[in-house]
Amino acid sequence: MANKTTNTAGTNKSAIDKLGGQKFIVLLVVIALFIFFCAMSPNFRKYTTIVNILDFSYYISLMAIGVAFPLMTGGVDLSIGTGLVCYSLVGGYLITHQGWPTAAAILVSILMGVLIGVLNGCLVAIMDLPAFLATLCTCMITRGLGSIIVGGFGISWPAAGTPGGWFRKIFKIQMNGTNIPIGFLWIILLVIVMTFVLNHTKVGRYTLAIGSNKEATKLSGVNVKFYHIFAYVICGFFAGLASISYAAIFATVQPGSGAGFELEAIGGAIIGGVSMTGGVGSITGTLAGVFVICLLKTGLPFIGLTANWQQIAIGFVLIAAVLVDILKRKSEGN
Amino acid sequence: MGEVILTMKDIDKSFPGVHALDHVDLEVRKGEVLALMGENGAGKSTLMKVLTGIYTKDSGTITYEGKEVEFHNTREAQDAGIVIVHQELNMLGHLTVAQNIFIGREFKKGIRIDDRKMNEEAKKLFDRMNIGIDPTETMSRLTVGKQQMCEIAKAISHDAKIIIFDEPSAALTETEIEELFKIIRDLKAKGLGIVYISHRMDEIKVITDRVTVMRDGTYVGTLITKDSTKDDIINMMVGRVIYEDPKTQNMVPKDAPVVLKVDHLNAGKLVQDVSFELHKGEILGFSGLMGAGRTETARALFGADPIDSGDIYIKGKKVTIKSPQDAVRCGIGYLSEDRKRYGIVVQKTVAENTTMASLENYMSGIFIDKKKEKEVADKYVESLATKTPSVDQLVVNLSGGNQQKVVIAKWLTRDCDILIFDEPTRGIDVGAKNEIYKLMNTLAEQGKAIIMISSEMTEILRMSDRIVVMCEGKKTGELDISEATQENIMNMATREIG
Amino acid sequence: MGKIKQNPFVQKVGFNRIVLCFVLFLLYGFFCAMTQGRFAGMNRILSALNYAYFLGFLSLGVTFVIATGGIDFSIGPVMFCCALISGYSLVNHGIPMAAAMIISLVVGLAFGLFNGYLVAYWSVPSFITSMASMNIAKGAASVFTKTQSVSWPQASAEGGWYRNIIKMGNIPVGLIIFLVIAVICAIILNKTRIGRYILSLGSNKEAVRLSGVDVKKWEMIAYIICGLLVGISAIFYVAAYTTVQPGYGDQYNNEAIAGCVMGGTSMAGGLASISGTVIGVFIIALLQEGILALGFTKDYQLIITGIIVIVAVFSDVVARRRKN
Repeated sequence: MANKTTNTAGTNKSAIDKLGGQKFIVLLVVIALFIFFCAMSPNFRKYTTIVNILDFSYYISLMAIGVAFPLMTGGVDLSIGTGLVCYSLVGGYLITHQGWPTAAAILVSILMGVLIGVLNGCLVAIMDLPAFLATLCTCMITRGLGSIIVGGFGISWPAAGTPGGWFRKIFKIQMNGTNIPIGFLWIILLVIVMTFVLNHTKVGRYTLAIGSNKEATKLSGVNVKFYHIFAYVICGFFAGLASISYAAIFATVQPGSGAGFELEAIGGAIIGGVSMTGGVGSITGTLAGVFVICLLKTGLPFIGLTANWQQIAIGFVLIAAVLVDILKRKSEGN
Repeated sequence: MGEVILTMKDIDKSFPGVHALDHVDLEVRKGEVLALMGENGAGKSTLMKVLTGIYTKDSGTITYEGKEVEFHNTREAQDAGIVIVHQELNMLGHLTVAQNIFIGREFKKGIRIDDRKMNEEAKKLFDRMNIGIDPTETMSRLTVGKQQMCEIAKAISHDAKIIIFDEPSAALTETEIEELFKIIRDLKAKGLGIVYISHRMDEIKVITDRVTVMRDGTYVGTLITKDSTKDDIINMMVGRVIYEDPKTQNMVPKDAPVVLKVDHLNAGKLVQDVSFELHKGEILGFSGLMGAGRTETARALFGADPIDSGDIYIKGKKVTIKSPQDAVRCGIGYLSEDRKRYGIVVQKTVAENTTMASLENYMSGIFIDKKKEKEVADKYVESLATKTPSVDQLVVNLSGGNQQKVVIAKWLTRDCDILIFDEPTRGIDVGAKNEIYKLMNTLAEQGKAIIMISSEMTEILRMSDRIVVMCEGKKTGELDISEATQENIMNMATREIG
Repeated sequence: MGKIKQNPFVQKVGFNRIVLCFVLFLLYGFFCAMTQGRFAGMNRILSALNYAYFLGFLSLGVTFVIATGGIDFSIGPVMFCCALISGYSLVNHGIPMAAAMIISLVVGLAFGLFNGYLVAYWSVPSFITSMASMNIAKGAASVFTKTQSVSWPQASAEGGWYRNIIKMGNIPVGLIIFLVIAVICAIILNKTRIGRYILSLGSNKEAVRLSGVDVKKWEMIAYIICGLLVGISAIFYVAAYTTVQPGYGDQYNNEAIAGCVMGGTSMAGGLASISGTVIGVFIIALLQEGILALGFTKDYQLIITGIIVIVAVFSDVVARRRKN
């Protein structure tokens, strides 16, 4: 019903709302999952496992922070997974086959992400295509493109310690033989920056406004098209960053892979309280949501379930998260 | 009286199939409140949308502060100092009040949006308007009336020279209207030009200085409010032809059986403890303001929204209605106020829409019997005098009145005994209105029981045998047509409760 | 508004579909010319047809879902899941061929039911549901087969008769079955209550609900039909290629949706054409075969298909915009 939202009169906020709503619950879930896996498996309690979880979390976190913006406009970006692999392949190809310096390759990777973001934004905001379909197409295009450019072979970015391998230290440094996952610091920093962008700048404000009521935002004189595109550009930029972290963590990047990564990122964002219908969301929640996914991914093998179970589990968790969102909106509506 | 600030001359605007504005004139002066009156569909809102750049005019001139202007979007109009408080609320439910008021022109500190300053400014605005709204509250948590106040605050904050109020009072309570009038008088004293669109005669008398009347997209005339009577204005509005025959007595025989009995129905906030009876052959009018809960009552009764408690009896038998399917099975048909969204499937043909509710009767085996379907559609096109080239025409190509007839046909094929007409003539042109009225009367004579929800007083007084009045989700009165007047209905519709 | 008088034949068949047929023949001519006639051989055509069969069933299935205004991204992986689970049972548990086929259909139906139930009864957005079930299908297939690829029997082996559903001697049985099922789909869509309600609710769900129609049921049925066709598709896939590998299948989503959208089915729902879908699928299959024949990799096809979908959907958006 059209006027359902307008009829809610109550102004009392619940205790959970004050603590940050869904974010808070998700954080509890993360902690509970962590404790559960620790209790179930002694191997899980090791330092290396935790470093491992963090390693896997970087590219998903970066994608999730990015994709939160299109989601908050009420759209989605399905091209981030294959896009990530594509940018990573091209960057690596430039280093290994063309002799480019690593810094330049990183720049190219990020730039490609931004360009695909612009393309997605134009398809959705200017040409009015349904977001999931437009980005599905760019998903196919980036998948093909990456493979064509590198000639169909796997690409390895320079290993740590070799010339040009410095970029791996962005995410992990070694001190006295132990790995320090400093990548996590960057993620925290980016979360803070993007939280600021979302809550205190025009870009964030209009992203939420578009997701809340695009027509009304337009009538208020906001350049809706620009800010709508911008949400996808942010997403593309973060997919570019994610491609670097992916290359830094994994030895080789395989063409044709990457489909399905976007699901983990989108799942993380939705679990973290980004509404499927747009207008609501938080970056800190998104990060917490990503860690639910990452813990499941790394934790399940420790309790004796093969990697394949992860996929099934993530599928169900995603549906559960959306159901919670739907039920929440239903109860608010009445 | 102040100098002229805005002149619209010879404004003409056509949409495909409709001549919405036919050479209309309008003049607004500083420090006055101009009422813009006319029936639904007279073209008031269209005229204002042309002024504020939402529509482009086909011809005519707009002179504002001595210069000829043409705005291409609302932003340009706003910047020039013309703002509109819309009839439909244009709000961003997820954002706070202050964020809504300053959307598109946020205060900034570097790249940072200065939310604190926005909250302060919003607070100042509300203080000036003398209303207590927390600027940090989420918009969707406010009542409709409060949301309206926020819209007005937003308009004022634009530093406007002309503010247009498009039926601002439709959703407001009596005290809120008082507040609104205080604000308007204040603005007037500051030398602003106010355009006030409304249906309500009493308000017009209280608040406005001049009245411009429109009818069917044409300019009828302008009167000085204090020198003219209510009848003068009504005469100009209705043009004497259409509404000459209000019903004066209940046409239903005293012993007509009760077809539908609703007992202490509760559903959400807007349906509280509603009880009424409906007789065979009766037209029961539901009157009240916007948001009084009439549509909600109908939707709950029809199973479109969940019922919290209460009993429904049909022909004396208690029934459970949990979904529209149940309702249709019980012989209830619902004609929504918003035909395009809830009534018809626009991309389907007249025939397909006609059989939508009764398709199982037009099957042969597992296949749809398209011949039979066409026959029945043809039959109703003829008996309802629906204007369509053929029953294979897509409904989207029909006019509002004819679309309404297709919806009526849909329920007639189902042989429904109880029909709920929710705003049956909204968006329908004057000629077709009469046909719909005639049709409803015929249906009632044939023994159908009709619930008619209407916001148009003339419609209520013309069609109903009895009238139920609602206000804020409660039934506040029930009248026989013989004792009903515009005044006592309005009284009940604006009654303050607890 | 002046209406252009249309040739009755054009009006009946639909302008779009005539254009599509032209595209199909032009494409064929183009590939023949580019390969100096090598493409004209029967082998190439049969190979393209093999691709068209299983893709065609996927595309027919997703047509029903798109007609409701939804989308299904799980068809490809679910198709693989059907082929893997039934194939694994066949090879490792020795169940008869007919039973394996039935299992394939049942698995497809189960996923259709799952998607449909969540979308219709819980209003979970269809692309989320189907992305989740895509993951579940991939995971379930891998778990069931212990991440091993499955090879269905060769034509000469015991139970190899199933390969005849594609080609028996020189009769292209597959083509006949495909066209027959397409005709059945067209009848369901245009002549029965299922189709009427699916198309109507795709156009305006609330209006149909307020007509007293059980929209949830009919919406779910669309997904179930899709699931069944995905199960059939799996059988035709293995009949053509015998070997299936777990963890794949998502590229077929895009191609199936592309075929459907190209054929004039509107992404906004309410408008669908089975014959358009059939021609669309033939174009995709031809494209795939042609690109390989020209010596390019599959990657080029991905890009071309992506661009085709953008163009097809955009023209639909423009057409709708013009109507309003």
